[in-house]
Amino acid sequence: MFNFQFIRRMNLFILVSVIAVGGSLYLMGSRGLNFGIDFKGGIKLHYRFSEPVSETALRTLLEPLELGDFSVQQVGEISENRMMIKFEVSEKEGLSSKITEAFRKGLNVASLEIEQEETVGPKAGSELRKKGILAIIVSWLLMLIYVGYRFDFIFAPGAILALVHDVLITLGAFALTGREVSLTVIAALLTIIGYSINDTIVIYDRVRENLPIMEKKPLRELINITLNETLSRTIITTLTVLFVVVLMYLFGEGEFQNFGFAMTVGCISGTYSTIFVACPFYIYLKEYGPRLTQKFKHR
Amino acid sequence: MILLSVYFLVPTIGHFENVRTLAQEKETPLPFYVYLFPPDEIKLGLDLQGGIYVELEVQVEEALKNKADLLSSDLERLLKKEPFAPEKIERNPDNSEILITPKEGQSHEEISHWIRKNYNETLIEAGGQNGEKRLVYHLTKSFEDQTRNYAVQQALETIRNRIDRYGVSEPTIVRLGGNKISVELPGMTDPDRALNLIKKSGKLEFKLVDESVADDTVRGWVAETRNESNLTEDYSEQSIAKINEKLKERLPVESEILFEIQRDPLTKKIVGGTPYLLKRKAEVTGEMLKNAQVNINNNEPYVSLSFNSIGTRLFADLTKNHVGKRLAILLDDNVASAPVIREPILSGEAQITLGLGDYQTLLREADDLTLVLREGALPAKLKELTKTVVGASLGKDTIQRGMKVMLMASLVVIIFMITYYKLSGLLADIALILNILFVLAALAIFQATLTMPGIAGLVLTIGMAVDANILIFERMREELRHGHSGRSAIEAGYHNATRAILDSNITTFLAGIVLYQFGTGPIRGFAVTLMIGIVSTLVTALWVTRVLQDGILYGLKKESISV
Repeated sequence: MFNFQFIRRMNLFILVSVIAVGGSLYLMGSRGLNFGIDFKGGIKLHYRFSEPVSETALRTLLEPLELGDFSVQQVGEISENRMMIKFEVSEKEGLSSKITEAFRKGLNVASLEIEQEETVGPKAGSELRKKGILAIIVSWLLMLIYVGYRFDFIFAPGAILALVHDVLITLGAFALTGREVSLTVIAALLTIIGYSINDTIVIYDRVRENLPIMEKKPLRELINITLNETLSRTIITTLTVLFVVVLMYLFGEGEFQNFGFAMTVGCISGTYSTIFVACPFYIYLKEYGPRLTQKFKHR
Repeated sequence: MILLSVYFLVPTIGHFENVRTLAQEKETPLPFYVYLFPPDEIKLGLDLQGGIYVELEVQVEEALKNKADLLSSDLERLLKKEPFAPEKIERNPDNSEILITPKEGQSHEEISHWIRKNYNETLIEAGGQNGEKRLVYHLTKSFEDQTRNYAVQQALETIRNRIDRYGVSEPTIVRLGGNKISVELPGMTDPDRALNLIKKSGKLEFKLVDESVADDTVRGWVAETRNESNLTEDYSEQSIAKINEKLKERLPVESEILFEIQRDPLTKKIVGGTPYLLKRKAEVTGEMLKNAQVNINNNEPYVSLSFNSIGTRLFADLTKNHVGKRLAILLDDNVASAPVIREPILSGEAQITLGLGDYQTLLREADDLTLVLREGALPAKLKELTKTVVGASLGKDTIQRGMKVMLMASLVVIIFMITYYKLSGLLADIALILNILFVLAALAIFQATLTMPGIAGLVLTIGMAVDANILIFERMREELRHGHSGRSAIEAGYHNATRAILDSNITTFLAGIVLYQFGTGPIRGFAVTLMIGIVSTLVTALWVTRVLQDGILYGLKKESISV
């Protein structure tokens, strides 16, 4: 049986969380998030060539087309000769055929084809961004209501705080690595919200079960015992999901890999926040909550 | 249940679709076993099977202008008969205002009274009362809303009809709310052609050429204007509007310049354009068409048109009165041709030739044009908001890669569960495999769409599915440590863990619902697999493993359990 003193050192762990969240916010502010064209508007083209082509060759061909800021990037395995071209662009139509034309003329390859083409208008992009943020906030609120309903409203805020923590840290990781934040990443964030609350619920459930049994014990000790009791399942449930998402990150490609990355960060952060954010917050609310309400009553 | 799942998955695994098309091609009867199984494979999303997805915005403001045009010609016709007939009725080309100027010495009162009486629902007076000479009318708010709504609805219908005629299997055309329409065409191989077909306004008009200015003069003006204001040599809507704007002073009021565009016969690139000075008023329009069809003369395909009775009459009058003049045929505001009227045409028939090009291309163009003309014009232009085109080969690669990751993930989880939980782990693994089977079967049964993120959802389900079992097994270990017997440990394990399992899965399910609401296409696919995965996990974890565990305990008369 484990017996870690989680609670005695909880202030230290909370400090770690505060630093991590602060760092994430700072990174998001300073570096900004690398939004994909889903959210920014623009065009993304995936080409596949019959022979290897160099990024610089494509760049020189694209230069005269006045695309503004564009990026050229190799995707997939090298042998597949796949290139991705991305640019933010105005309302011009028919650009993709112009580019294909330029490649066909300027490159000495037997064949080339557009495998994927995505165009997002700037308006559609900003709408989607708003919708994405809204979706995240709505799911936080839903979780708040659900946990509040199944447990009570002293339990609920800690759980939600942990979720906010997870989303921010995941986004921070995206700001740090400069990975593209696309629709799939929003899907991952919402999944993290739905999933990372699971181990919080498991622990809360156990706290609720232990409350009448260990009536005599002080709250902090009770929580510590519960955390130790549930520790193995917290770790193992996270571990099985981690196996899967790390594999997605390692062996997936493109969006698949992005999803895996977001989930990996979110899962680790989720477990940490369950133990070191949700539970301490519950203790605070339980210990200081009554005093606060008393204060209000005395007025 | 297992058998049922397998039954529903057979078509997908056996690629019945291929079998079917093969049988169709060879005209042989379908093999008997195809009939034994349900008709549907798992439906693949656009990102996996290739195709086009576009979101279009109907430019409803244009529809309002068109409506105002119609209303103003109605007013002109009706007011002409009244004693208080106005001096002139104009349209403000920048918006949907109608401007009415009464005759000299006439008061506004009678006209505005008449309009209030007859057009109360549609027109509202907006100024022009006090001393101002003109009366200004706006469309009423409710009529505007109705027109906007109708325009989107009509655009949707028109697009649907065009695509149906074009023949795409399983197109999805949906109104997204507001002025937006989404069109999904799976498995399309020629995206440009399909998009052209959707976006073509299909506006057909016959306008007289204004012969008061010589062609050379017009050409000179255009070239001059291009030079003066540094306009590039293109024929976009904006450039044409700008040229007309600059030449406003010199052009006759009721005429404007439009272009006949020349294309290279092979590359179809624009190589030049001939300007025409045309009367603004359309004499005959596509709404008066009865039919359009492709004909071939001397190996040159062309489109022949026949008008309905109103159209025939108008066309006959027009050609009778303007013999020797030129009549321009316009398609979407571009001049298709401007032949000279040699003799009155009383039959109500006309032709559109398609210019130069190789036979096959021209024939295809003629086909598309007749289709668009027959299905009618769009009520307003469409603007592309987003577009996704996916090639078929990419999808196959994605599926393969996804399946590879899924296999690896399954193996890792299965091995981990067996090493950590021994026999019980094995049971959980059986439940896991069943779980994957159920999710796939559910996808086939409900015809939910499997997308690339959907595969990610499937892989994720593998990791999350065993969570429920882990909670139960950990609880059983605890009970065993407290000295309970195997049977009561199972009892307590399931009993106590169920609550938390339910709660935690419901939260994930809730997130899935939000995601479904938020996302389009591929993301919805993810949300659906996630939610199906959760339901299936609850069934397999709480019920299947329980039955297996009890079975082992009672059936083998064992007293201890291996957890």
